[in-house]
Amino acid sequence: MAQDAAGTVGARVSLQVDTLIRAAQSGDQDAFEQLVRTYDQSVLRLAMNLLRSPEDARDVYQEAFLRVYRNLHAFRFDCSFHTWLYRIVTNICLDQLRKRKVRKEESATIETAEGPLDRMESFQEESAHADPERSMWNRQLRSKIDGALEDLTPRERMVFELRHYQGLRLRNIGEMLGTTEEAAKNCLFRATQKMRAVLGDFT
Amino acid sequence: MTCDSVSKLIPLYYYGELTPDEEERLDAHTHECAACAGAIERQRALAAALDKRDVPVPPLLLEDCRADLMAAILGGAPRVERAAKGPWRLFLDALAASFSGLGRLRQPIGALALVAIGFFAARLSITPLPSATSLLGSLNSPTDDVYSTVRSVQPDGAGGVAIALDETRRKVVKGRMDDSNIQRLVLAGAHEDNPAVRVESVDLLKSQAGSAEVRDVLLALAQDSNPGVRLKAIEGLRPMAADQEVRKTLRHVLLADDNVAIRMQVIDLLVAHRDDNMVGVMQGLVQRENNNSVRLKLEKALRDMNASIGTF
Repeated sequence: MAQDAAGTVGARVSLQVDTLIRAAQSGDQDAFEQLVRTYDQSVLRLAMNLLRSPEDARDVYQEAFLRVYRNLHAFRFDCSFHTWLYRIVTNICLDQLRKRKVRKEESATIETAEGPLDRMESFQEESAHADPERSMWNRQLRSKIDGALEDLTPRERMVFELRHYQGLRLRNIGEMLGTTEEAAKNCLFRATQKMRAVLGDFT
Repeated sequence: MTCDSVSKLIPLYYYGELTPDEEERLDAHTHECAACAGAIERQRALAAALDKRDVPVPPLLLEDCRADLMAAILGGAPRVERAAKGPWRLFLDALAASFSGLGRLRQPIGALALVAIGFFAARLSITPLPSATSLLGSLNSPTDDVYSTVRSVQPDGAGGVAIALDETRRKVVKGRMDDSNIQRLVLAGAHEDNPAVRVESVDLLKSQAGSAEVRDVLLALAQDSNPGVRLKAIEGLRPMAADQEVRKTLRHVLLADDNVAIRMQVIDLLVAHRDDNMVGVMQGLVQRENNNSVRLKLEKALRDMNASIGTF
């Protein structure tokens, strides 16, 4: 009975989204805006987590939803809208990650008069102000984690991000990335192996 | 199962991605093998460390992105956007809903003003202000406000009109929440049609959460039609989250409420008290939950309870 109730909620949500899509397809701007608002927080969070730069995340957001706007008429409901949207978003993010690999760019760090500064620091909730030792440990851990994430291939990084931080199932992730669930499993395994190797001392 | 094959399955085990059969065999192996049990613990520690690196999205960035996008689509300048629908926004929505009700009232009264302009032009206000006091020259005390609502307007065909008005007198009663008369009025307010009044009443009742009567009202309002009211009621149930009756209602809300903020809040309340009955419900829900934030929260709660994410 519990599962039936949850299933009913899921079905209701998906029905609402379908209604919004059909309205947006027939030119209803408000419906499109509502559709964007249903998903845009998780899209922006994915972009921020992957690219660690508010400017780049903003570009991803803009490009992704403009593509959605231009191509929504072609959406035929043969997969979920979430999967369709994430195919677009992950493609844009993967392109960005690949370009970065080529340029060896470390966009999360900017040079300042006081030396390199992590751009993301301003967004972190540093609860350890009162405890300098713990704060130092957290900083070291964060920098290690960043290093470990940078060492992943763009695809490993994407699979890990979608599973760990976005909580998506590997079956869906495979569908989004145009690959199989098995390939997504292998990617997740390789990603965790690499991170365990780098972060072993810290965990 | 060998240690080598187990080590390949550990990340999938942690993320609840194994088949029931694989999970069972892995469990059997780790019960016997301390090294592999340790590897699972290390996987948990790794995931906990990685949780700390999750980057929150600054709220202003989201608003900027939305404004830019809409500007690009509409081809105009970025416009001022509404805030995301957090609990506070929902509360404001509840208030807005009440004002839209007033808007509906204005129309018939506006119509009356047009019909009656030749009769009352100098005396009748368009909004439902205390017009009747002056209109009827009644004996009301000057501190009471009398509100008129037009029920019917009937022209008589000879240049006259018959107007039926309902009058409501407003009284202001002041007091403290420990006064039982005030409490009774606030309890009545919690059943009012206007959602803004319900929100305010529930907010006040939260401080009186010890009484059974208040608990029952909060339980009923946890399933109110207005999300702002539901949020406030659930917040009010927090000190009683160990009460079985409260947990039963919260469980129902978790399964049936279509509002993400409310489901998130309910999970917080439910996991604050150890309850093995919740594990099955949450395992069932985690498989079906559409919203990623809620699903992540459920997964974390299950892990904190040392329960498997899957349900078999």
